[in-house]
Amino acid sequence: MPETVSYFLMAWTDPSLLLLTAAGTLAGIYVGALPGLSVTMATSILISFTFAWDINQALALIVGIYCGGVYGGSRTAILLNIPGAPSAVATSFDGYPLAQRGEVGQAIGLSTVMSVIGGLIGVLVLASVAPFLAEMSLQFAPRDYFLIAGLGLLLVGSLSAQSLARGIFAAALGGVIGLIGLDPVTAEPRFTLGFTNLMGGIHYVVVMIGMFGVAEALFQLHQLNAETVRQKVDRIVPSLNLVLKFLPLSIRTSIIGVIVGALPGTGGDIASLFAYDHAKRSVKNPAQPFGKGAYEGLVAPETANNAAVGGAYVPMLTLGMPGDAVTAIIIGALVIHGLNPGPMLMIQTPHIFWFTVGNLVLANLFLLIFGLTGIRIFARIVELPRAILIPTIMVLCVVGTYSLNSSMTEVYWMLGFGLVGYFMKIYGFQMGPVILGVILGPLMDKSYRQAMSSVGNDGTAFLLDLVTNPLSLILTSAVILLLLSNTPLRRVLSRRSR
Amino acid sequence: MSQEKLLKPGERTFNLLLLVLSAGVLYEAYQISGFDLLNAPGAFPLILGMIMIIAMLVILAEQRHRSGTATSGVGNAAKQFIQCCCPREMTVFTAMAIIYLALLHPLGFLPATILFLFLSQLYLRSGKMMASGIITIITTIVIYALFKIIFQVYLP
Repeated sequence: MPETVSYFLMAWTDPSLLLLTAAGTLAGIYVGALPGLSVTMATSILISFTFAWDINQALALIVGIYCGGVYGGSRTAILLNIPGAPSAVATSFDGYPLAQRGEVGQAIGLSTVMSVIGGLIGVLVLASVAPFLAEMSLQFAPRDYFLIAGLGLLLVGSLSAQSLARGIFAAALGGVIGLIGLDPVTAEPRFTLGFTNLMGGIHYVVVMIGMFGVAEALFQLHQLNAETVRQKVDRIVPSLNLVLKFLPLSIRTSIIGVIVGALPGTGGDIASLFAYDHAKRSVKNPAQPFGKGAYEGLVAPETANNAAVGGAYVPMLTLGMPGDAVTAIIIGALVIHGLNPGPMLMIQTPHIFWFTVGNLVLANLFLLIFGLTGIRIFARIVELPRAILIPTIMVLCVVGTYSLNSSMTEVYWMLGFGLVGYFMKIYGFQMGPVILGVILGPLMDKSYRQAMSSVGNDGTAFLLDLVTNPLSLILTSAVILLLLSNTPLRRVLSRRSR
Repeated sequence: MSQEKLLKPGERTFNLLLLVLSAGVLYEAYQISGFDLLNAPGAFPLILGMIMIIAMLVILAEQRHRSGTATSGVGNAAKQFIQCCCPREMTVFTAMAIIYLALLHPLGFLPATILFLFLSQLYLRSGKMMASGIITIITTIVIYALFKIIFQVYLP
């Protein structure tokens, strides 16, 4: 127990870690708030610089950026009606009308306090559930990992893309990219097309920087001349009565956020939409109608998307499965630092878990401080023209990629992935499933082959295992239900039931 | 038909290209170890290749009743594609980025970055030479100081 406390307080007592968490949170708020800069983009670029650092320092900075970035998106959603991040889309529904009513200070203040409440509830769930889940996950068979990863890819595919088929395609493409290189078991080349420099595979950070950084920067060129609206910022700290009034709703939507965030592949963007929908259904008589500046419409998504951060860490730390795109990147960082994300992480390196928990709490406290201050300066920064931001992002992408292996070939790969990602984005494919595919592809390949070997390469026995083992049966049913819910069959059945 | 239901210029062609890519993936996956064993190195890649093909066929089937934007002739279609997907800013900026990458080693990081930032800002902001110059110098100094001195990473 004393060890756990010392791990928990590590970031609080070490000045360099404290500073990095604070710097990360502050940077995250601004990165998340600037339209065109996403927290995933920032993390993927930044992570390449931290490989030479101590793992705690790298994690401290990333945790700060993650928490700050998820919250930061709400700022521009309220001030300018431009969500700085996908997780702030629902915030803009009522946040901007509040700003139009001249209540921008109150709206930002309330969203900050609620984000912190949501974030802390998420961490509480992480700290209480993850150790049990990690212990339980030791009983998982390779086929279960295969099914969980598949379920995660299906979920992110069905929720984040225009159609399930697009999501599945993007995830499978990511899986193929993740498998490029020599097979880790037999050393046979896979998808190398005879090129020796592909034998080592393509670094997932190269794909991420290309698809999130470059593709997004190129996409932003379409809105180069979008006008920004100037806002007057007034009283910020919300009254205690106002906070208490919305506390029950914030607790409910935090729980929604944690659950949605914990599902592999989903994240704050989906959690916030679910929470907004819940608020709309459960709050019968808001002071203002939803969509016209209801505080409930601001509270629900803001608590949920921050609670989803803690939720997303649950599958990452216990199963080695990313909860969302950012935790996918963090998994990569842990691997590069010689750690093994998954059930053994909690057993072999419990300090990493408790350090992360303590760090998340600290980041939420910094969020409260930075969230309630500097709003006037912030209002000016978000007016930075995209014509300045976009070339700067490109330079950061180049520096980030080059710093991985000092290889210009990887820089060209990064640009190539950026262009592919740009066109995929134009035609309605999401980048999230691709990145999750890159991370989960090799894991699924390994689990699938282990599962198949354990039944002596007998396909029928493998299929039987999927439906005879209780956990596998639950997971298989979830996969089938998810697939069916996205087919015309569901529409037919729901029409009949009506 | 609503605007949302219309195909974007070049969308069907892009999806067909992805279908060809998927077929290529399946072929490459088959080359790894054929249909030898269910746990062979090529087994999971084969599954991925098949999934890609099926998903793309579903996407193309979903689109079969959706019409594209009204065009007559290849020239107009190309014009629409460029307007929608490759606006001048995007094309010029991408070309600048490629030239920037090509110049990184011959010129070195600082001169190439200064040149790229200055020219791209000058282009994207339609002039504003003085402001672009000042912002370029500040940005380059910040990036260099942050990454070379603080993070101590190798720069191109």
